Amino acid sequence: MTSTPAAPDRRRKARLQRLREDHDPIAASELRTAVCSLLRHPLLLPDAPDPEAYRLVRRHRTWLSDWFAHHADWNLVVSTEAVRLHKVPASDRDATRGATEPRNGELFTRRRYVLFCLALAALERGDRQISLGRLAESLAGSIASQPAFADAGLTWSLETASDRRDFVHAVRLLLALGVLRRVQGDEERFVADRDSDVLYGVARPVLALLLAPRRSPSLLDIPGFDQRLEALRADPAAPDTPDARNRAIRIRVVRHLLDDPVLYYDELDPETRTYLDRQRPFILRELSDATGLEPEVRAEGIALADLEGDCTDLGLPDEGTEGHLTLLLAAWLAQSLRDHPGRPVTLDAIRLQTARFIRDHHHHWRRDASQPGAETWLSEIVLRTLAGLALVERHPAGVVPRPALGRFALRRSDDPAASPTTPDLFAETAPESSGP
Amino acid sequence: MRAQVAVTESYAVFAHLNVEKTPLYRAVLEAFVAARRQFAIALRPVEIAERIPRPAGAPEAPLTEVENALRQLKVWGNLDDSPDTAEAATLEEFYRDRRLYQLSAAGEAAETALAFFYESLHRPGELQTTALRDILELLDAIPPLLSRSPPDDAKLHLTLSSLTNRFEELTDRAQSFMRGLQRTVDLYGISVEAFLGYKERLIEYLEKFIGDLVVATNRTAEAISRVESARLDTLFEALARRELADALDPSPDLLAATLHRWRDRWLGLRRWFIGEPGHPSQAELLRARARSAIPALLTAVSHLHDRRTSRADRAADFTALALWFASAPDDAAAHRLWRTAFALTPARHLRVNEETLNARARADEDARTRWLDAAPMFISPRLRRTGRTTMRGAPPPTVDRSAEKARLRAIADRQALELVRARDELLRRGRRRLADLGPLSRDEFRLFLDLVARALARPAPPQAPLEGLSVDGSLRVRLEPVPDGEWVTLETEQGDFRGRDHWVTIESTLDPAP
Repeated sequence: MTSTPAAPDRRRKARLQRLREDHDPIAASELRTAVCSLLRHPLLLPDAPDPEAYRLVRRHRTWLSDWFAHHADWNLVVSTEAVRLHKVPASDRDATRGATEPRNGELFTRRRYVLFCLALAALERGDRQISLGRLAESLAGSIASQPAFADAGLTWSLETASDRRDFVHAVRLLLALGVLRRVQGDEERFVADRDSDVLYGVARPVLALLLAPRRSPSLLDIPGFDQRLEALRADPAAPDTPDARNRAIRIRVVRHLLDDPVLYYDELDPETRTYLDRQRPFILRELSDATGLEPEVRAEGIALADLEGDCTDLGLPDEGTEGHLTLLLAAWLAQSLRDHPGRPVTLDAIRLQTARFIRDHHHHWRRDASQPGAETWLSEIVLRTLAGLALVERHPAGVVPRPALGRFALRRSDDPAASPTTPDLFAETAPESSGP
Repeated sequence: MRAQVAVTESYAVFAHLNVEKTPLYRAVLEAFVAARRQFAIALRPVEIAERIPRPAGAPEAPLTEVENALRQLKVWGNLDDSPDTAEAATLEEFYRDRRLYQLSAAGEAAETALAFFYESLHRPGELQTTALRDILELLDAIPPLLSRSPPDDAKLHLTLSSLTNRFEELTDRAQSFMRGLQRTVDLYGISVEAFLGYKERLIEYLEKFIGDLVVATNRTAEAISRVESARLDTLFEALARRELADALDPSPDLLAATLHRWRDRWLGLRRWFIGEPGHPSQAELLRARARSAIPALLTAVSHLHDRRTSRADRAADFTALALWFASAPDDAAAHRLWRTAFALTPARHLRVNEETLNARARADEDARTRWLDAAPMFISPRLRRTGRTTMRGAPPPTVDRSAEKARLRAIADRQALELVRARDELLRRGRRRLADLGPLSRDEFRLFLDLVARALARPAPPQAPLEGLSVDGSLRVRLEPVPDGEWVTLETEQGDFRGRDHWVTIESTLDPAP
């Protein structure tokens, strides 16, 4: 597709990689696929979401569980019914990866989360099969029997359609995860008609694998919300020797690099920073070999970038209306980063710029992007993507571009780094058409 | 001879078991049973009221209540009453309708049934090794008794009756033990201590009993065969005779029935220890069941272990999480809790492409370069301009090239025709000297050159004839050098071809050799 010859350095690196893999090239690439698919889908079932990956993971389960346990201290459970990587996150501050409704991608609200957990509790107490009606009754009973729900302002009843819709969304997530298996009926009808019913089979092994933390939430009696999160992630048996502290640091760094887009140095404490500076080449080489991600080391932080595109759910650049707008806004925000580092950009300014982009590009985009008021929801989508990729930080006053946004900045045209495509001797087409 | 009891409404004796005043009724009936053990048959209400157990310090049950209960029990048929002929001690007693009560036949049968029910339910099942020993002894005692003539009916009957009884006990106990075993290992809620205690007892029992059963089975089987080798029919007849000695009217049918019954019992005994092909003996089955109890035990262990290492109550965990979600300050906090608690979210990374990597490899970057200064992410200009990597819009229509294709086909056909013509021409020449071969047209010359080249390419001694085949193998050329030949010229359409003189023979390989 591109007519640029590969640079000699790249070829040399590829050759070295091939030498390393030469003892078993097939296994190396299979392992890489397995690691990436586990990072992408921490819960794998034999038939969904990726049957090939499930087979690969089962074939190499010893190596994989050793690797994850050693480097990231993540527990890999492989059984005949499911494969689960308990991907405990490095920090609990990330609010960008909430649960989404499987069909339309809506983010879950607090109420839906509550319904989801209560449904899981009801399934745990129940049998191998359950009907939607009985599940709903059990949920209503649980909510009514715990005054804490009413105190928190959560009410739910089977009579209102919007409540039923929340419930159905929670059930759809259960279906998507593989906890429930529809036997007969359709839950969409339940939103409209309170009396329609659906029969489900319960996959109890999957139910047993859902919870990640090592500590049991019901045994933790902690009032504050943030403290609860911290307690969930804490390791109960952590010794205090220098070796153990170093290992804890390394594990935290590896978890961050594997699961999150960018590791910024200004988020780390000095001890971690020193350790990372010393150990960076080894850590990055090990992670890059195992996952196939390309390390990007810069002054402000480290990122592992996805070349194949199978290790991430959000991507930039992306095609389509939102993707194009994201790209344009990213370049524009990067310019702001270059000119005024550290200054937040207000939401109004973003909306204004979005409107300008819509004016310029709407003939490439979907119809509904040209409607009035589109810049509000479009810019919201874009900001959510950018925040999810750790490229901006959202504040009440606006957004603050983060250093990694510099990747998408436009360069001046006389800058040698601006045109990475050098003209080729044998190019018969103009350099613009790098498409088919 | 037993009195014939009317079979109608006979279950009313059990009606007292499921009503409001069941405890009172049970107390009354048990008082009757206890009194009977002391050989007191008929009781007055007053005496019953005294015998009903009550907690220390509580007053006696009021007499009227007791009397009502007794009357109701009579209606149901548990009790019989008869007039009380003793003298009244007080005026009240005199005016009261005094009756004496005793257990009716049906009532007594009901009590026996209930007593058996309680005993079976609550009796801990066990495997008995003493039963095995007794059985063996009894079996050993039979042959000598049989060998005496005439056989001692009474002793034989006694021996075999005890044998049958021991057998029934053994079977009962083994059955209830097996039942209890299955139920217990099914209990997932068992606590660790209870489980350990049970495990110890079970293992002890199994070791003792199974070991003894194996030994006993062999010896018992031998004893049984010894008895059978003696006169078995004599045994049965003696037994039948003894049993019917008390009968009022032994008919041949009754005799046959008794014989049949004893034969069945003996067969049962036999089948317990000696199996037939296709029907393993009861002892075998018992052994197999006891053996399979051990893996079931191990499964219970693993379940206990699972429960201990995983969360003791996952439902409570989910409920606690629901409460945490409900008390989250906002949706963003809820998302954070979702990720920490469930960790089902996919990883997220920035993307990169080959062009960017190549650019980076060429640029001079190190770990201190800022992102703004480093080689940027390569975005194709089309993507940057339109948001797509491919051209949008309808694909261009496929051009109809059929005319050009037809023309090309015509050209190809013509060329093939010319080639065939050239070939035929060359073949027509036959054997000629080089100069006489011409003039050659362009195609003929090309064909000729091809043949000559292939002939010359073959290694051959000088002055020897050269042979070669065409590319498709259909033509063969033979070049015989003319001795002292001169350089001659062959005319062709494209020019003159000079070479040393040869005799040139071109023939087809497809023709049969002349």
